[in-house]
Amino acid sequence: MSLAEPAALPVTTSAPPRLHILKRFTTGFKTSLPAYLLLLPSLIFLALFTYGAMGRVLVDALYQRATPKAPVRFVGLDNINAVLADPAFTGAVVNNLIYAVGTAIPSITLALLFALALSRTNAVTSVLRAALFLPVLIPMVAASALFLFIFLPNVGLLDYYIGRLLPVLPNWLGDSDIALYAIMIITIWKNAGYYMLFFLAGLQAVPEDVMEAAHLDGAGPFQRLRYIILPELKPTFLFVTVIATLNAVTQVDHVFVLTQGGPSNATNLVLFYIYQQAVEHYDIGKASAATLLTLAALMGLTALSFRTMANREGGA
Amino acid sequence: MLFSRRLMLGLAIAGTMAGALAFPALAEGPTEIDLFFPVPVDGKLARDMGTLIKEFNETHPAIKATAVYTGSYDDTLIKTRASIKAGKPPAAVIMSANFLLDMQIENELTNLDSLIAADGTSKDQFLGQFFPALQGNAVINRSVYGVPFHNSTPLLYINADQAKEAGLDPNKPPQTWAELTDWAKKLTKREGDKVTRWGIAIPCAYDYCGWMMETLTMTNGGRYYNEEFGGEVYYDTPSMQGALTWWNDLVTKHKVHPPGATPGPAVSTSFISGNAAMMMLSTGSLTYVRDNAKFAYKVAFIPRNVRNAVPIGGASLIIPAGLEADKQKAAWTLIKWMTSPEKSAWWSRATGYFAPNMAAYKTPDMVEFLSKNPDAKTAVEQLNVAKPWFATYKTVPVRKTLEDEVMLVLNGKKQPKEALVAAQKAADETLKPYNAETSLKLP
Repeated sequence: MSLAEPAALPVTTSAPPRLHILKRFTTGFKTSLPAYLLLLPSLIFLALFTYGAMGRVLVDALYQRATPKAPVRFVGLDNINAVLADPAFTGAVVNNLIYAVGTAIPSITLALLFALALSRTNAVTSVLRAALFLPVLIPMVAASALFLFIFLPNVGLLDYYIGRLLPVLPNWLGDSDIALYAIMIITIWKNAGYYMLFFLAGLQAVPEDVMEAAHLDGAGPFQRLRYIILPELKPTFLFVTVIATLNAVTQVDHVFVLTQGGPSNATNLVLFYIYQQAVEHYDIGKASAATLLTLAALMGLTALSFRTMANREGGA
Repeated sequence: MLFSRRLMLGLAIAGTMAGALAFPALAEGPTEIDLFFPVPVDGKLARDMGTLIKEFNETHPAIKATAVYTGSYDDTLIKTRASIKAGKPPAAVIMSANFLLDMQIENELTNLDSLIAADGTSKDQFLGQFFPALQGNAVINRSVYGVPFHNSTPLLYINADQAKEAGLDPNKPPQTWAELTDWAKKLTKREGDKVTRWGIAIPCAYDYCGWMMETLTMTNGGRYYNEEFGGEVYYDTPSMQGALTWWNDLVTKHKVHPPGATPGPAVSTSFISGNAAMMMLSTGSLTYVRDNAKFAYKVAFIPRNVRNAVPIGGASLIIPAGLEADKQKAAWTLIKWMTSPEKSAWWSRATGYFAPNMAAYKTPDMVEFLSKNPDAKTAVEQLNVAKPWFATYKTVPVRKTLEDEVMLVLNGKKQPKEALVAAQKAADETLKPYNAETSLKLP
């Protein structure tokens, strides 16, 4: 839009203010018309498939029907209240928080360790990088189907190898105390390699001369990590943390394939809860309300990520 | 610029195509209809469906049917509902038999009575073709809403080699819960505290768990739900408490059943690998076991505590509501063709489900097949004691309230009685709006 802004707008200061505004508006619109026309194709699709859907969710969240045959009526915030009062939703939020923290921290730590170990490029590290990146290339659904067999009680790959060491073989996905952690292991395995890429890129940005100076001053590997590398990686850390948190909310393929939120809702995450409300309960109002709540949380996160980016630009 | 021009061009082409599709009536041609079909077992079904529909189109030039693969039973319900909402329902759907009531309550089904009457057959004549056990899930308020297409019942599978090794006679399978418990104890192998072979495994994942609870409750003399009215389930009853307590005893007291919730595929894999000596599973898995078991196996009726009884499973053909008359008629022709004795028998042999049409078992091909595979006969014989599959208002959430509690019991977190009280309370809550409109709506 700023492209289309006329160079000198205020022509005369003595003109009547209303006319001035109107004129300014029309000339402004006229000059930016080509820009809007160029944007139109994308805008149409954005409106149809993104904002249209969001608007629909907003409307649906405000309507509910009292009995199966009754028509939907406006209920205001009742749906949102019903969602917040639903123990399955609060349970899903708690599960999601455990899941977010329990997947973000280990996968980021692993990613950093991998990146530090493989920061120099040679034949060996290239092969290892490719190996660690491989899980990223496997679609989550396919990975989950693989893990279904790994986690099979008694006969699965996992029990086959570590079963001998344990006194009792755990039912990895069928035990409500263990299932969520089994799900988390898949996420960590899948995402660590992806986050490693960001850290590898971040490590390239660590100034060579500072490192050399530290080396000459006799700083050991730990000191260089603590005082030079980690501070330099701060923007990468913030960025990856936001991505990891977003992933924790938006990726539920493995829940869908492996546990369907069970046993007894032990692995139910927020997005899966929304799916259940919409599909199993056929309750569009409640599903939309839960979607709105999640959307609000995600928008907060996105704002955070924008600020992170801004800090990164400004802080350099 | 270049990009958007290309996009415009694309839009223009897409627009023309959409226009051409929107006015097919202008050209005189066959009635085009879609059939939504799920593949609840393995991928071979999709190919068999292709063969079936191709044959239909060749023999019915006035109709052009297209088979559309729609995923699992649950996915098929979602996609059907989505297309009804979008105003473009498919002409026919193979729908999980226990979703019909819920769909009828939501006004999503076509009442088939008038189509049956238009053929000059009475309702009793029409329904009389199918096994009586299957009618309960197809008839709602004395109107026909679905035509049984492929069906199943739960079976007891026994590893005959392991049974012999343990001194048991696989030709005299356990008939009561007491005998089954005894068998399971003898078949369980331990090394210290660790179990290396389980006596029996019963699946418990969403969907399967509810079906198995219905099975156990029925063999204990009980009922899962009110067969005549979709607003009641009977979770907090002695018969269900006995069923869940026995299941829990197999896990915690006798330690012959793996703890926790085990999904169906894990149970069948356990059985195939010799890690579980017996299992309760659908007849739909019979083909899989037949093809993969490297040992002699036996199938038997589900043992009883009070009576022999099992629920049915499987799917029916339905016509969604809101369809044009010509498509409805074409769909009805397709449905009648697909459920005829010959096609029913062919589909049964291809998939492992049993054929709902009784006349299918009199076709020469089927007689020959059964003499070669006597285990397929057990499922059909068990139909004599089969009853409908639970179906209520909001079947899936109502079922899930029970399943969540059963999983807590199998994980040692709750006692059967308190679990069933909680399940009953949650189910009643879900059923409340429907009762408010029916049983509790008083003059």
